[in-house]
Amino acid sequence: MDSIMEVVNLHKQFEIKTGLLTKAKINAVDGVSFNLVAGETLGVVGESGSGKSTLGRTILKLTNADSGKVIYKGEDLVPLTSKQMKRHRSQLQMIFQDPYASLNPRLKVGTSISEPMLANNPSLGRDEAKRSAIELLELVGLSPQMYNLYPHEFSGGQRQRISIARAIAPKPSIIVCDEAVSALDVSVQAQMLNLFNELKEKLSLTYIFIGHDLSVIKYISDRILVMYLGQVVELAPTDAIFGSKMHPYTQALVSAVPEPNATKRQSKRIILEGDIPSPGSVPKGCQFASRCFMKMKMCMEAAPNLTEVEEGHLVRCHHHARLKKAAQDVPNG
Amino acid sequence: MSNRTFLKALRKNGNALAGAAGVGIILCLGLFAPLIAPFPAGYTIEVLQPPSTSHFFGTDKLGLDVFAQIIWGARTSLQVSLIAVAVSGFIGIPLGLVSGYFNGKAGAAIDLAIEVFLTLPVLALMIVAAAALGASITAVAVLIGLFAWPSLARVCRNTTLKVSQTSYIEAAKCSGLPVASILFKHILANIIGPVIVNLTMAMAGAILSESGLSFLGLGDPATWSWGLILKKAWEAGAVLASPNPWWWWLFPSLFIMIYVVSFNLLGNGINDALNPKGQ
Repeated sequence: MDSIMEVVNLHKQFEIKTGLLTKAKINAVDGVSFNLVAGETLGVVGESGSGKSTLGRTILKLTNADSGKVIYKGEDLVPLTSKQMKRHRSQLQMIFQDPYASLNPRLKVGTSISEPMLANNPSLGRDEAKRSAIELLELVGLSPQMYNLYPHEFSGGQRQRISIARAIAPKPSIIVCDEAVSALDVSVQAQMLNLFNELKEKLSLTYIFIGHDLSVIKYISDRILVMYLGQVVELAPTDAIFGSKMHPYTQALVSAVPEPNATKRQSKRIILEGDIPSPGSVPKGCQFASRCFMKMKMCMEAAPNLTEVEEGHLVRCHHHARLKKAAQDVPNG
Repeated sequence: MSNRTFLKALRKNGNALAGAAGVGIILCLGLFAPLIAPFPAGYTIEVLQPPSTSHFFGTDKLGLDVFAQIIWGARTSLQVSLIAVAVSGFIGIPLGLVSGYFNGKAGAAIDLAIEVFLTLPVLALMIVAAAALGASITAVAVLIGLFAWPSLARVCRNTTLKVSQTSYIEAAKCSGLPVASILFKHILANIIGPVIVNLTMAMAGAILSESGLSFLGLGDPATWSWGLILKKAWEAGAVLASPNPWWWWLFPSLFIMIYVVSFNLLGNGINDALNPKGQ
């Protein structure tokens, strides 16, 4: 397994105003570490406010990290200036959630696609860029005549295809897809997920696929990273997350996925109480303890560490040994 | 919104059409001044004639045609306001874009400068500066522009702040586009509506300043401007005299008003056409 990117202990804080003069710091990304394997799709899930989008934006240096490392091609991206970052820009691209806000309404879609190519490779020339842009339109399932249209002439799904074409235009190796299908109809979502997989094969891409819909993430991901309040609570291969899922939070998330097959349907649906705590006043001890159905005294006192319970399966829970046993007792539970 | 729907909305707006008509008429008068009437200079014996077919707006104390003065004044007005607006645009637009896009320390510093300039006693400073610079129409125009940029910069900054948050600007950053291209191609294209509205209104503001300065004797005495006509009428006692040569001071005042109202109506009309929901 070749690692293409390594994220080490990444931190990002935001300052929020809590009153007229008082400010609080919230940890949007709180010591996240993982390595990204070349050619994989790493799914990132969590509730709103868990810091998953900030993680994606920080990795791409759309906001600057406070501390930590993002190592790409042997170089730490975090301390780079925007000028130094330029040589990696084309390699790291992003696809955004809202297809209606992610295309410049004043630019022809063809320009939106050819512009990144020209910016990263000025010797390309306008005609060549236009030809490549048209090829890209066809690659994402649109017709070449659409080159000269404006974004408002397209549907949401078509716009998202254009965003994908724009993202792959500078020939990236890693694409962060931030809720890239969440705003689309379910029928369109399925087409898009297939398109993502197709492009990954053809262009040997690596995805970080951020989402909150576990059925989407399950379908597309090789591994899944579960985030809660800016921290990684579980990181494991997709099968392990859905098979011997361990962290109580992951259990709750998985139990909420609708299961169309009645015979497979679980009787037990785990309902979490309350909301995700305000990141400004994080409880001492385990961050999830306030909502956890397995909490014990120790959970309120000491914060658990991320522990490797099996090869490639990391869990942040005091009960990991017990959970593991329970999972083995009930296969496919 | 496409350009076609914008023009359609603009055409439906009666006020905007009236404004555009007023602007159009003044533009034609200014452009074709030499074809309409000779430059009023020297003196004739037909002093203080009331309006008639040979002198539409009557004559002044030197026997010069007031209509001709107003036509040539329109030329000056347009010249002054265009230069002033260009100067304020050259300063205000880049500053607004930069301060909105780099909304950190640099942005805050520019914002503070805008605030400070907005609180300055503009008229008093303009009088001092105009007196120091001497009477030239270009100097007056540049001076007006130098004091007019803060409101434009603020409009630019506020709209840029909003547009900078959108995904398409993030995407542009991601694709490694140069900052200048993000600012002047991607952002400016999306805030051009409010900017044009502000520039149009600034045309009206510029002419008020110019008339004020000319009336105070700080304009260019070698060319006609509406403020200068008023100054001459005032100095000759025409405003309070009896019997009153009303045509001497009324027509230039009316033209200043038409100019200001036309540009304001046009600016409002563009604003409404750009934000159809705001009506």
